This record gives sequence, C-alpha cells and structure tokens, in this order.
Amino acid sequence: MMANLEFPWLGEQGAHDARSVGGKAANLSLLAADFRVPPGFCIPPTAFEALDLDVSAPNPGTGDASYWDTGAGERFAALIGAAYSDLAGKTGTPEPGVAVRSSGIDEDGQSASLAGLHDTFLNVVGVHPIADAALKCLASAFTDRAVAYRRDRGIDERAAGLAVLVQHLVPADVSAVAFSADPVTGDRSQVVINANWGLGESVASGTVTPDTFTVSKASKASKALSGTAVSDKAVMTVPVPGGVKEVNVPKMMRSMPCLNEGKATEIGQLAVALEQHMGYPVDVECAFMGDVLYLLQCRPVTTLG
Amino acid sequence: MDDTQTAGGPPPPLPIPDNFPVTWENPADEMAFWHIDPVHFPTTVTPAMEIFGDAFTKGVDRSLGAYEMPIRLQHRRINTYFYMGNTLAVPPDQLEAQGAKAEARLKEAVGAFPDRWDNEWLPEVKEHIAFWDGFDLAGASPEALAAHYDETRERLARLWDIHFLLEVPAILSMSLFDEVYKDLLGDEDKLASFKLLQGFGNKTVEGGHVLWGLSKQALKSDAVKSAIQDHPNGEVVAALEASEDGRGFLVEFKKYLAEFGQRTDVFCELGAPSWEEDPSTPISNLKDFITQPDRDVEAELAHNAAERDEAIADARAQLAGYPQAARDQFEFLLSRAQFGTRMHEDHNYWIDQMTSDKVRRMVLGIGNRLLAAGSVEDANDVFYLTPDEIREAAVSNGTGDRRTTVTERKAEMEHFGAIQPPPMGTPPPDGEPTDPMGMAMVKFFGARPQESGQSGVVSGNAGFPGKVTGTARIIRTLADADRLGQGDILVTTTTMPAWTPLFGTASAVVTDAGGVLSHCAIVAREYGIPAVVGTGNGTTAIKDGQTIEVDGSAGEVRVLA
Repeated sequence: MMANLEFPWLGEQGAHDARSVGGKAANLSLLAADFRVPPGFCIPPTAFEALDLDVSAPNPGTGDASYWDTGAGERFAALIGAAYSDLAGKTGTPEPGVAVRSSGIDEDGQSASLAGLHDTFLNVVGVHPIADAALKCLASAFTDRAVAYRRDRGIDERAAGLAVLVQHLVPADVSAVAFSADPVTGDRSQVVINANWGLGESVASGTVTPDTFTVSKASKASKALSGTAVSDKAVMTVPVPGGVKEVNVPKMMRSMPCLNEGKATEIGQLAVALEQHMGYPVDVECAFMGDVLYLLQCRPVTTLG
Repeated sequence: MDDTQTAGGPPPPLPIPDNFPVTWENPADEMAFWHIDPVHFPTTVTPAMEIFGDAFTKGVDRSLGAYEMPIRLQHRRINTYFYMGNTLAVPPDQLEAQGAKAEARLKEAVGAFPDRWDNEWLPEVKEHIAFWDGFDLAGASPEALAAHYDETRERLARLWDIHFLLEVPAILSMSLFDEVYKDLLGDEDKLASFKLLQGFGNKTVEGGHVLWGLSKQALKSDAVKSAIQDHPNGEVVAALEASEDGRGFLVEFKKYLAEFGQRTDVFCELGAPSWEEDPSTPISNLKDFITQPDRDVEAELAHNAAERDEAIADARAQLAGYPQAARDQFEFLLSRAQFGTRMHEDHNYWIDQMTSDKVRRMVLGIGNRLLAAGSVEDANDVFYLTPDEIREAAVSNGTGDRRTTVTERKAEMEHFGAIQPPPMGTPPPDGEPTDPMGMAMVKFFGARPQESGQSGVVSGNAGFPGKVTGTARIIRTLADADRLGQGDILVTTTTMPAWTPLFGTASAVVTDAGGVLSHCAIVAREYGIPAVVGTGNGTTAIKDGQTIEVDGSAGEVRVLA
C-alpha cells in the first residue's frame, strides 16, 4: 500500500484541499478552523483505491455481514472503527449518530452542484452501518443518472473522484437557516432567520412554514431581535434509530416560538461573523443543541442582485 | 327545492314521544340537549337521587366555572331517568373566546392537579367523611337531623365540585398524553400510548386483589370452602358462622367490606344497598375465584407493570434524538397521565362510592324513623321520596302515612323501566369536537357508535388489544353475574367499579357504552383482557350463549356460532 490511508478531520490542514476531499468537505473544513462545526472525518477517493475496494460495484457490503471479516472489507471497517472511536471522544457520546454524504472532487461550492445526485445517509450509528453507508454513497456516483449528469456537463469521468464525509449528526433542538442579507428585499441591515424544531430538513425542504426572526446587524447587544413571526409549525424532522423521520410537532409546541431572543441574536451574530469572514453575504445553516450553536453549512446568498 | 331545512340557526327540538311525556318548567330547558349517560345511569333511578343530582349540578357548575369552561351540565330526573342537559355558559358568539380562556386554565390544571389532590382535595374529602362518621344518626333530635341533612347536601355539592376539579384534568391529561404520543411516535397502533399507563393498580383493582387473596385463604380450609361453595349467596355468612375457620374468615371478609364495601351494584344509586349491607356480589365473586386456584392476579399486575416499563423505555429510546422541548412535553404529560389514570379510578372510591354511602346511611336513618312511626313498610322506602319530602320526614320525626306515595313511585319506576328513554330537547350540531377537552370527553364516553356494515360483526372502540374466542354472556345487572363462567366473554351495557372482580373471570369484555378512557377500558388494561367498548348495540346484537370472537385491537366483535 503506497497511498495515504489517513482520514483527515474537518478543521485539519489535510481536509482543507477540495482536490483531495471534495468541495463540500473542504468548505466545511475551512469553516471548522474558525467556527464550531460538528466534528467529522473525510474518506478521500485515494483511500478507496488503496484499499482495493471496487468502487464501481454497487454496495459490496450490503446484506452480507461476512464481508466485513475478510480482505478489503475488514481493512476498511477497521479504519472506520478507529475514526468512529475518535468521533465518540470528540462528541462525548459513546455511539454518535452521523451523516454520511458524498463530497465530489468535481463539486465546487461556487458553481453548479452535484448535491442531490448522490445518496446521503442520516443518523447512521455503528461501525459497519457507517462503512456500508460510505460504500453506498460511493456507488451512487456510478448510477446512470450521475454518469449522464457528468457526461452532459463535459466533466471528465476519470476525474470524477468522490470523497465521503462522515460527520456527527447533531440531534438538534432547533435548526435554522439565516441570511446575512434579506434574500427577498435585499436589505443588508438585518439578518433574517427561519427556524423550526428538530433537524434542518423541514426548514430546507419547505414542508413547514418556519418561524421567522429578524436581528439587527448594527446592534452589538446580546438581545437584538427586531422582529418575530411565529408560525403554526405542524411537522418537524427528528433523528430516529437508523435514519430520520418527519413527525407532528406536539400541539403545545406548534405556535410556541422555537427560539428565544438570546438564541435568535446568537444566530444573527454568527451570520454577521461569517459574512465578515467570507467577504460576501451568506446563507447559513445552523442548529442549537441545548445552548450550543453549531454551524452546519455556509454558502453565498445567490439571489442578491 | 325547499332549502329552509338547511338554513342556519339551531335545529328544532326533538319530538316528545307519547309514552314519554315531559313538560319543561322553564321554556329555555327545551333548548338544552337532554340525554341519558349510558355509562353511569343506564337505568331508572329513585326519587331520592335528586339529592345526588342537585349536588352534581352544583358541583359541575362550580368546577367548570373555576376552569372557565364554556359548557355546563345540568341534571333533571325525567320520568324516573337521570337525564343530563348540556347547556352553554356563554352566548354562542363568545364560545371561541371562552374556549381559549378555558384552554389556558386547563393547561395550568393539568400541571397542578396531582399536587392539589394529595395536599388539598384528599384531606378535605377525608374531613367530610369524618363529619358524617361522627354524627349520631339514631340519637339526633328532629331539628338536629334536619340541620344535618341540609349540611350534608351542601357538603355533597362541594364533593362533586372537587370531583370535577379532579376529573377534568385527570381525563384531559390522559387524552393529551395520547395525542402527544401519536404526534411524536406515530398512530399506527391506536392503543400504544395506554400501555405506558397500565399496571399501576388503583383502589378499584386493589379491592379486586384483596378479594382474590380471600379466595386463596378460603381454599386452605375445607369448612370455609364448603360454606362458600355449597350455599346460596344469602346463606353463606350464616354457614361461615358455623365453624371456627369460618368465623376467622368472616373477620377478614368484614375487614374487606369495611374498606371496599361502600360500592353499590348500581352506580351512585342511593336506594341500592352497599356491599357492606348486602355482600351477595362479593360472595358470588368469591365462589368464582375459588374455582381458579392456580391463578395469580398479583403476578398478572406485575407482568402489566413490566410491560409498561418496557414500553416506556422503548419510547424514550425512540425519542432520544428529539428536541428537548418535545421530550419534556412527553415526560410531563406521561407523569400527569399516569397520575390521571390512577385518579380516574380512585376518585370513584373516595368520592362517588364513599360519599354516596354516607348520604345513603343518613337518608336510611330518616327511613328508620319513618318505619318506627309506621309511615312506611320498609326503611328503604324512604328512597322513593323526593329531597323535600325526606327533609320533611326528618323534621316531623317520621310521622304521617307515606305508603301510598311510595307505592305510586315504585309503580312509576316500573312503568318507565320498560321504556327506552329517548334523547330530548335540542340536539347539538353534528361533528366530532376538535378542542382538547371535547376530544378527551369523546375518549371517555366513546365516539358515536358506527354500524360495522358487515353482518355478524359488531364494532365499537378498541379498549385493550388481543383476540379471544369464547361464549357470550349478556349480563345486565350484577345480580345476574353468577351466570358468568370462567373464560366467558362479559357482554354488558356498561361496567362501573363494582363490576371489577368480574374482570378476573371473563376472558374479554364488550360494552354498549364508553370510550378508550372509560372505567371499563382502564380496568380491562389493568387485568390485561381484550376489550371492545361503546358498541352501542352489543347487548342486543349479540345473543347470550353465542360463540364470539373479540378483537380488542380492531374494536370488533364477530359472532361465530
């Protein structure tokens, strides 16, 4: 084995380079150096090659537990096991749930994204299920749809390396999307926050009308809420063993604001800090677990003129 | 096309049948919806029950008023039946605003009721009981007896106030927990939430268990066993007196009656003797229990408790990654619903049964004076007098002749007893309620029965899951309970706490009235037997002796042969 079998962690130098861990992981890694991003490790394409895992064969581990006892499967599971054990230490949780996602080498945070083409696995728990999800993720790069997508865009098939990101899935109390400039009015003096109970899927997918909070960017106070529109939030996304699901919000929580003024302000300040850090208006995904705010994603606001 | 029928405004009052004449004292009464509550009062009641009815109406008015609820419930004894009338506490255009106020009040009440019961209401209930126990009924002067009668009625009204201050949040907490469970964990299994509430036991179940313990004791002595087994119910006590073992057993049996014998076969009927006065029903239960020597009801309760703990652990594991606010809501309502489940039964012991027994004793004390003065032929005839007549009997120390009145009243009850009491007044609009308390009440009294649409299938509400096939026994009164053999399926109109020991004999239970939170469904869960409640027509659609299959999960009963 000549290739490097290290799985670089978000925030480390080794995970900053989009050419080795893909655009998505590299973006998060750079953010993780300065902000609180949930811990995660990257499996670069070179690792799959070095282990001799047949990346074009669909789901080598699926349905056959003995796969993990022999050859490439065993070596891969051992590497995942070591990293998962480190993740348990970093999260303070013995068996943390993780999100397993692809991070394409040909993906670029600033241009057309391959997001949605590759499978994502949420709240995966345990070494073999994670190893299996990583291989399925990888295999999804070779679905007819993914191949056709790359061919249509003239992306070199051989260069279509795919890294896999394994990141702690924070079991969020509340998830939010914050815009450091109002994406509708273009107003750059306010941060606009959409938030709902649970994981961020219900906010991102639009299955629920989230609560809306606006925070004044000029204020440095710990409470700088300038507007609240509480909505009747019917559903939320929650992690359940083996995945996530959408459930009803209990009646008493539906029209209760999901953020208090202090927490909304904290999200507003995070968006302002990220805007300054990036140098452009940002669209931020974040989540509270208890009193701790995690940064999940940061992109430029694309709708501003 | 004539569309005046569908225009807005209240529907017209229901027609009054010829065989059930009624005149409304107050014309506004016709605007209320008057109905029989088949769970509590399926049969005729004595005139003395107006004492209970007045206290009930006052208690409802005060407690629902305290919770700012927009509805009221009144009582009238109409043609010997105990009717309840739903009325509004506010004009219709203020209903919604009043409903919002009530929701806020009830939310507080769900939080506070366990503490208020333990520290405020139960001590007060015990104080009222001590008041009655401390009064010398036989020795009081006529004036003192009349004053005692008046004070008793005031105290009874306060006890029914406490009854509903407790029961409203108790029932609501179970219903809200059921809702939050279904919201968070899915509603595929309609009864799943109730598993987390089972196996705590309660006064009703406890009384049944003490009786089981007595049946085990009886089995240890041939003399006791034979005294119970080989004599008609009415002669068992005398047969027990005849042996030393029997006398020893009687001491224990009387302790049981002193603690749990305040119940009557007919719910709250002041005219019915308590078990302590006439122990035929518990003796009949004992006869049945000694035929099941290997049964261990304590172990069954422990099994239910273990199942509950497992279900709670499962639910908590499922919820581990949910938002803290949702988990807090779940735990809060779980704790309240567990307390509510226990109180939903225990309040029967402390209020419904205990106070009815105390009031009955007082009225019977007046009956004894009537008997001594030759005014009636039996002290129990006093229950055929109205509240005012009873007070007058106390004042006059029983003098006068009331025999004709009693005979007429008995004939009236017999006449109307053969007639199905119709709903009267102005029916409420169609549709199921959507407010939290309305939804809770549907779970208690049962949704409107639906025709199954299949021949040989009777449908109702799922009460406790499981499938059982057995012989149907239609038991309308506890006096008829001897016919229920071990493994038979109890088919009845409704079961109140006095029926509880039968749950140890029956393999399943089917009732005409009640919902998933009815006494019957709760006790079925404690005994772990399949239950279908609120069929509407089970006692008429199913024939005694038929082989039937009860599917407690689907809420269906199939007639097999």
